[in-house]
Amino acid sequence: LPAGLSQWFPALEVLDVSGTGLAELGAELLALPRLHTLLAKNNRLGGPGSLPKGLRQAPLGHSLRVLNLSGNRFAEVPPALLGLRGLRSLSLGGNRLHGIPPDIQELRSLEFLYLGGNFITSIPPELANLPSLSYLVLCDNKIQSIPPQLAQLHSLRSLSLHNNLLTYLPREILNLVHLEELSLRGNPLVVRFVRDLTYNPPSLQELAGRTIKTRNVPYTPSDLPENLVRYLSLASNCPNPKCGGVYFDSCVRQIKFVDFCGKYRLPLMHYLCSPECSSPCSSASQSSTSQSESDSEDEASVAARRMQKVLLG
Amino acid sequence: MEQPVQTETWKARSLEELVRILHRIFAEDKISVEEVQALMESYESNPEEWLQYAKFDQYRYTRNLVDSGNGKFNLMILCWGEGHGSSIHDHTDSHCFMKILQGNLKETLFEWPEKKGNDEMTKKSERVLRENQCAYINDSIGLHRVENISHTESAVSLHLYSPPFDSCNTFDQRTGHKHKVKMTFYSQFGERTLC
Repeated sequence: LPAGLSQWFPALEVLDVSGTGLAELGAELLALPRLHTLLAKNNRLGGPGSLPKGLRQAPLGHSLRVLNLSGNRFAEVPPALLGLRGLRSLSLGGNRLHGIPPDIQELRSLEFLYLGGNFITSIPPELANLPSLSYLVLCDNKIQSIPPQLAQLHSLRSLSLHNNLLTYLPREILNLVHLEELSLRGNPLVVRFVRDLTYNPPSLQELAGRTIKTRNVPYTPSDLPENLVRYLSLASNCPNPKCGGVYFDSCVRQIKFVDFCGKYRLPLMHYLCSPECSSPCSSASQSSTSQSESDSEDEASVAARRMQKVLLG
Repeated sequence: MEQPVQTETWKARSLEELVRILHRIFAEDKISVEEVQALMESYESNPEEWLQYAKFDQYRYTRNLVDSGNGKFNLMILCWGEGHGSSIHDHTDSHCFMKILQGNLKETLFEWPEKKGNDEMTKKSERVLRENQCAYINDSIGLHRVENISHTESAVSLHLYSPPFDSCNTFDQRTGHKHKVKMTFYSQFGERTLC
């Protein structure tokens, strides 16, 4: 890029240097105070120094809203761009990313995040700390599981997960009430009822903790060592609404199928407090694989009806 | 559409001319698939002529009506952002022509699932359609999924459906189960339609 760029074009708002073979975006860009859209697709960016130093503090760091770096050679999300607090849209599609840094949560204004076509294997739960994220694309990667925290992305309208390595989804995904688009095709989603048989029996500490919680055995902080007081405060309620139980570390992972009126079955991972605790119809699911099997009227079936529209729309 | 009575070799030199010739062809009783496909392919995509119809949505692909063909056909432009794709769908007994105006689209053909089946649907073939190519499908050929597999480029396609239809079935690839859906237009004649 020419050295005098910010002097010649101080009012520049949109710059498209896509397909120009650039190996680095230099400091010439930093002093462009009105630049809100920078498109640099299909270049040779990705090495160290691809983005200019001091981006966060520069005028460009405050003005930039849209950054498209798709079709380059980034093997990691460049740390230099994590300081772009005003950034609304980021695309790193078609690069060589193997992961997403937890510090992605620093992009507080991010609404649109395109990471399709990389080699990403897992998603950090910190991604869920982006309060305005409405469009998340993770298709064509190597993702094996979705962290349940992703359900905290209340603004999410579209989630693209197709062509990954997912076998199930966390049941919390049903909490995404604004989700209108969800793509799951091309994942090895389990289709038959699966019960995780590697159940590690609870420790004595866990059993004692469960008893105290479910029987409401009274205690005060002076009765117990501090670490046990803290332990007791970490009890999780069993997600099965018909069970009043709690669990600490030991739980059963059960794949339950949420059946959308016999037309679509989505395997959702449930955490239950013990193998004996299971929703009334799961024993029915074990014996029958008929498509007319459906959820009992718990909150999952209400969310399921909503999700059907999303999945088949 | 049956065997051609007379097959013309048309050359549409602009989008406007394409629409005019289509009106003439569809005014006849007998229409040839090959003739329409050749006509669609003959039009060399010129973005200036269709940019007004090409309205993109960031979340999913859009359908933008260009011409309603006196009720005989619908001509529309579909805009596909990076990674956008359709479900597997049928064509409600209509003819469907799809011409690429910009970018590339991958078309995957599927067999019709068994009536009482519960199995993964069978892929017949797949191909990537390039700019100005025109594909044809109808229900007797099979079902298809269309997607923009590019992570860097958007795609624009020109579709002709005859007779026009506003609902079709979408299919779950893993089970073959179908589900009727209503289709809507994102814009009509260049104006955004809100629904």
